[in-house]
Amino acid sequence: MKHLRRIFLRFYLLFANAKVEAELAREIDAHLALLEDEYLRQGMSPEDARRAARLAYGGVEQAKQLHRDERAFQGLGQILQDTRYTFRQLRKSPGFTLTAILMLALGIGATTAIFSIVEGVLLHPLPFPHPGRLVIVGDVLEGSHCASCAQSSVTVPDIRNYMRDTQSFSHLGGYRQRLFELSGTGSPAAVNATRMSGEVFAALGVPPLLGRTFTQQEDEEQQQVAVLSYGMWRSRFHGDPNILGSKILLYRKPYTVIGVMPRDFEFPLNPGHVNQSELWLPLSLQPEEFTAGSAASWNSRMVGRLKPGITAEQAQSDAERVARETMRDYPAYMRSFRIHAVVTPLQEDTVAQARPLVRTLFFAVIVVLLIACANLAGLLLVRAIRRRREIAMRLALGARAATLLRQAIVESMVLSVAGGAIGLALAAVTLRLGVSLLPQTLPRVNEIGLDWPVMLFALGLALLTGLLCGLAPAFAAIRTSVNEALKEGGRTGTSGGGHARLRSALVVAEIAVALTLLTASGLLLRSFEKMRDVKLGFRPDNTLAALYVLPQQQYRTQSAIDEFTKTLLNHLGQLPGVEAVGITSFLPAAGNSWGISFTIEGYVPPKGAGLNMAAMSLLEGNPFEALGIRVLRGRVFTESDNAGSQLVAVVNRKMAERYWPGQDPIGKRLRRGLPETSTPWMTVVGEVDDVKLGSPDAETIPQVYQPVTQAVASEGVFASVGELSATNGWIVVRSRMAPEQMEDTLRAIVRKIDPQLPLYQLQTMEQAISKGEAPRRFVTVLISSFAIAAVLLSVLGIYGVIAFSVALREQEMAVRMALGCQRSGVILLILSSGARLAAVGCGLGLLGAAASSHLLRSFLFQVNPFDPRVLALSAIAMMLLALAASALPARRASSTDSVLALRGE
Amino acid sequence: MSTKEKESIQLLQGTLDLIVLRTLATMGPQHAYQIATRLLQISNRLLNLNQGTLYPALVRLEQYGWIKGTWGKTESNREAKFYEITKAGQKALGEETRAWRRISALVERLLLEESWP
Repeated sequence: MKHLRRIFLRFYLLFANAKVEAELAREIDAHLALLEDEYLRQGMSPEDARRAARLAYGGVEQAKQLHRDERAFQGLGQILQDTRYTFRQLRKSPGFTLTAILMLALGIGATTAIFSIVEGVLLHPLPFPHPGRLVIVGDVLEGSHCASCAQSSVTVPDIRNYMRDTQSFSHLGGYRQRLFELSGTGSPAAVNATRMSGEVFAALGVPPLLGRTFTQQEDEEQQQVAVLSYGMWRSRFHGDPNILGSKILLYRKPYTVIGVMPRDFEFPLNPGHVNQSELWLPLSLQPEEFTAGSAASWNSRMVGRLKPGITAEQAQSDAERVARETMRDYPAYMRSFRIHAVVTPLQEDTVAQARPLVRTLFFAVIVVLLIACANLAGLLLVRAIRRRREIAMRLALGARAATLLRQAIVESMVLSVAGGAIGLALAAVTLRLGVSLLPQTLPRVNEIGLDWPVMLFALGLALLTGLLCGLAPAFAAIRTSVNEALKEGGRTGTSGGGHARLRSALVVAEIAVALTLLTASGLLLRSFEKMRDVKLGFRPDNTLAALYVLPQQQYRTQSAIDEFTKTLLNHLGQLPGVEAVGITSFLPAAGNSWGISFTIEGYVPPKGAGLNMAAMSLLEGNPFEALGIRVLRGRVFTESDNAGSQLVAVVNRKMAERYWPGQDPIGKRLRRGLPETSTPWMTVVGEVDDVKLGSPDAETIPQVYQPVTQAVASEGVFASVGELSATNGWIVVRSRMAPEQMEDTLRAIVRKIDPQLPLYQLQTMEQAISKGEAPRRFVTVLISSFAIAAVLLSVLGIYGVIAFSVALREQEMAVRMALGCQRSGVILLILSSGARLAAVGCGLGLLGAAASSHLLRSFLFQVNPFDPRVLALSAIAMMLLALAASALPARRASSTDSVLALRGE
Repeated sequence: MSTKEKESIQLLQGTLDLIVLRTLATMGPQHAYQIATRLLQISNRLLNLNQGTLYPALVRLEQYGWIKGTWGKTESNREAKFYEITKAGQKALGEETRAWRRISALVERLLLEESWP
C-alpha cells in the first residue's frame, strides 16, 4: 500500500516539478535562515553566521539533487524533458514533422494491416482446444494429378475402415460439405451444410452455445437432427432462444434443431468467407454409398484427435496399415487404384495453400516500411547536419554523448510512435473496409482483425522503427567535431562529408529495394495481362447461369426429373430474345469441376503416366451454343442421343491431342473407369474448343461431354440400383438482351414450375470470370500499390539528398559560375551525381529482383521471372524518375545569383 | 581524515527514517532544523550529517504518508515547514520499532556469542 502510493507520487511529481522545486527552495531558505539566527545568537558577525549556516547545512545543490532523486523517477524525468524538448523542436518545423509522421503512418499502417492477415491466417492457433493434436487423415491416390489433390480425401468405405480399424485417435470422423436446400421457415434458400460423423464434434472439442451436438450413435441411427451456426441462428432465426426442438426442412426432409454453435466456431476451415458451413448434420451413411461409383469417389475428408502420447508419424503408419487392408478388399473394378494414407496436422492442412501469398505480401509491405524508415533516417540526418553548430556548442559546454544520443533517439521515437498510432488507426479502417475484398483463396478470414498480438506488433514496430531511424542521426550527432564545426564552418564546401555518404548509402538502398518491388509488380501486371489474353473457349457476353438441385424427397423418379428439365428448357427457349438454352453439370469459369478416370481404346499410356483423368460434363439442351463453345469437328448432341441409343461423347481439343495425337478423334471409343472396370464404350462424335473450367490462369484440363440421358447407362457397374440422373445442373441462357434483365424472368419461370425450388449462384458469365480472376487481381493490385509507394518514397529520398547537397554547395556553385562555368555545366554536374546514385541503386535492385524471383515464381503466369522487357522497363523508369528528382535542385542551383551567394554569410 | 569523522556513525539504511519518526512522535511537530538539532543532541554529536541529508528521508516519509508537512511560524517569527506524524506514521513507527528491536537483539546475540573464547 505505502509502496503503491509512493510509486504513484514519484510518477506524479515528474509532472508537478516546478511547484515542488519552488517549495523545496523555500524550505531550504527557511532552514538556512534558522541556522543563521542560531549562529547570530551565539555572537557571530552576520557574515560569519551566514557562512557557518551554509557549512552546517552542506551543499544546497547537492541537497536539492538528493531530494529530486528521492521524490521522483529521475531517469524518466530526463526522458520526459527530452520529449518536451523534442516537441518544441518539432513544432518549429511542422513541414518536416508532418511528412515524417505521415510517411511512418502509411508504412506502419500498411505493415500492420498485412500482419493482421499473417497473424489471423497463419500464426493464430486454430480455435479448438489443444489444436496441435488435431489432424486430417486421408488418402493420396497414386497417379491422380489434379489441383484439388493437394489436400487428402477419402471415400465412404475409407471413413468406415479408418474409424473402425485405427488405434491412434481418441476421436476420428468423416465429413463432407454440400449445398442444401433449406425451407420450412421463410423463403427457400441454399445453405452450405456439412454432413459429419458424431465423432467430429467430439474430436474438435468445442461445446455448443445452446443445446447439444449429435453423437456418433445418433449419426449411425440416422437421426434427422441439425446443429446451427451462430450466424445462421442470428440471421435466419433472429436469435430465437426457443429454437431448440423446432423443425427445419432440408431438401424437404424434416430435421430437428438440437443445438447452436458459438460465434467463432468454424468447421471445415474452408478458404474464403462465402463457403463457410452454416449448419451441421449427421453423416448418416446410406448403404448405397458403400457400393458402385460412390465407393470409388474420393469426395469426403476425415478429421481426428491424436491419442495422448501418439505422434502424427505413428498415426500415419497406423493409418497406412488400414489403407493397405482397404486396398486388399477393393472390388474387382477398383483393383488398380493405389492409395497411401497421410496424416497432416489440421493447421498445416488449412493454411498450406495460403502461405506463399501471405508471405509475399508481408515481404512486400516490409520493403515499403524499410524505405519509409530509410527516408526518415535521411531526413533526421539532414536535421542533424543543419544543427551541427548547436550540437557542437552543447558538446563544448559539456553535454555528454549519451545525452545527445538519447535526445536523437527520443526525437525519432516521438515521430515513430505518433506515426504508429495513426498507422494503427489506418490499419483498423483498412481492415474494416478491406476484409471483404480478400480473395476467396484465403482461409480463416474471420480471424483477421486488430487483436492484441497485432496491436503489440504495431507498437513494437513503431519503437523499432524509431530506434533504427534515430541511430543514424544520433551517431552523426556525437561524431560532430566540435572544433571543425565551431570554426567559421559555413564556408567549408565539404561540410558533413561523412554524413552525406551515409545518406547516399541510404538512398541507394532505397532505390534498390524499390526497384525490386517495381519489377515484381511489373511481372505481376504482365501476368495479369496474359491472363486477360487467355482464350477462355467460350463467349461470356449476354449469358446468364444459375445452379439448381432437385430435392430427392419431391423428385423420386427419373420421369419426374425429366419432366422438370423438359418443361424448364421449353419455357426458357420460348422467351423472346433468348437465343439458346442448355443445362450443364460443370459451369465454365466457376471452378467447381472434378476429374474422373477413363479408359481409352487402343491407347497405351507411357510408363508412370498415372490415371487418364478428365472432367466429365453432363449436358442437356444446347449448352454449347448457349455458352458459345466452338465446335471444331463432328457434331454436338441432339434429341436422338438418348438413353436407348448408342452412347456418344464429345471431347475437347486437349483430350483429342493427348490421346489421339494427329488423328481425327471422331469415331474413337472411350469408357469410364479403369481397364478392369466393366463399363460400356462411348463413341466420340465431336470435338470442341478447350474451355477454362476454373480461373483463366489455371491449366486447361482434358474434358469429355456426354448427354445426361446416357449417364446411367455409361456408368456400368459404377451405377447403383435405381440411380437417378439430371438431379442438378447449371442452367445457361444466351439472349439478345442484357443478362441482368433476364435474371427475374429466369427466377419467375423456375418458380412457376416448382415454387419451392431455389436458384443458387445466379450470375452472368462475366461475373463468374471476374470471380476466377479475383485472387490474381488482388495480389497484383496490392503489390503494385506497394511498388508505387516504394518508388514515390525513394524518389522523394533522392530528391532530398540532391537538394540538400546542392544547398550545402551553393557557394561552390557560385564560385564555379563566377569563374566562367556555364549553367549547363552546373546542371550536368548535379544530374550526374543523382544519376550515379540511381545507377548503383538500380544495379543492386536488379540483383534483388533476381534474388526474390523464387518467391514470385508461383504467382507468375506465362511470364519468366527474368523477363528482360519488364526488368529493362522498370530500371529505365526508375532511372528517369531519379533524374527528374535531381533536375529540380539542379535547375535551382544553376539559377543561383553568384554575387548574392558569395556575399551571403 | 579527522578523528571526529572516524568516530562518527554511518547510518544503516532505514534507521534515519525510524529516528525521524520517533523524534516527531515524542516531540510533536518539528521543522527540519529542529529535527537535525535533535539528532545531534541525542547522538552526542556522533551522528555527523549535513543537515541537507535529512531532506530525502523527509520526502520519502511524506510519500509513504507517515508524516505531513505544513507551513507555520517559529517562535522567532520565521516561516518554516513543520512536519507532523500521521496516524499511519504512528502505526508504522510501532512496527518499525519492533522490527528494529528484533534485528538489534539478533545482532547483539551474535556478537555476544562470538566474543566467547
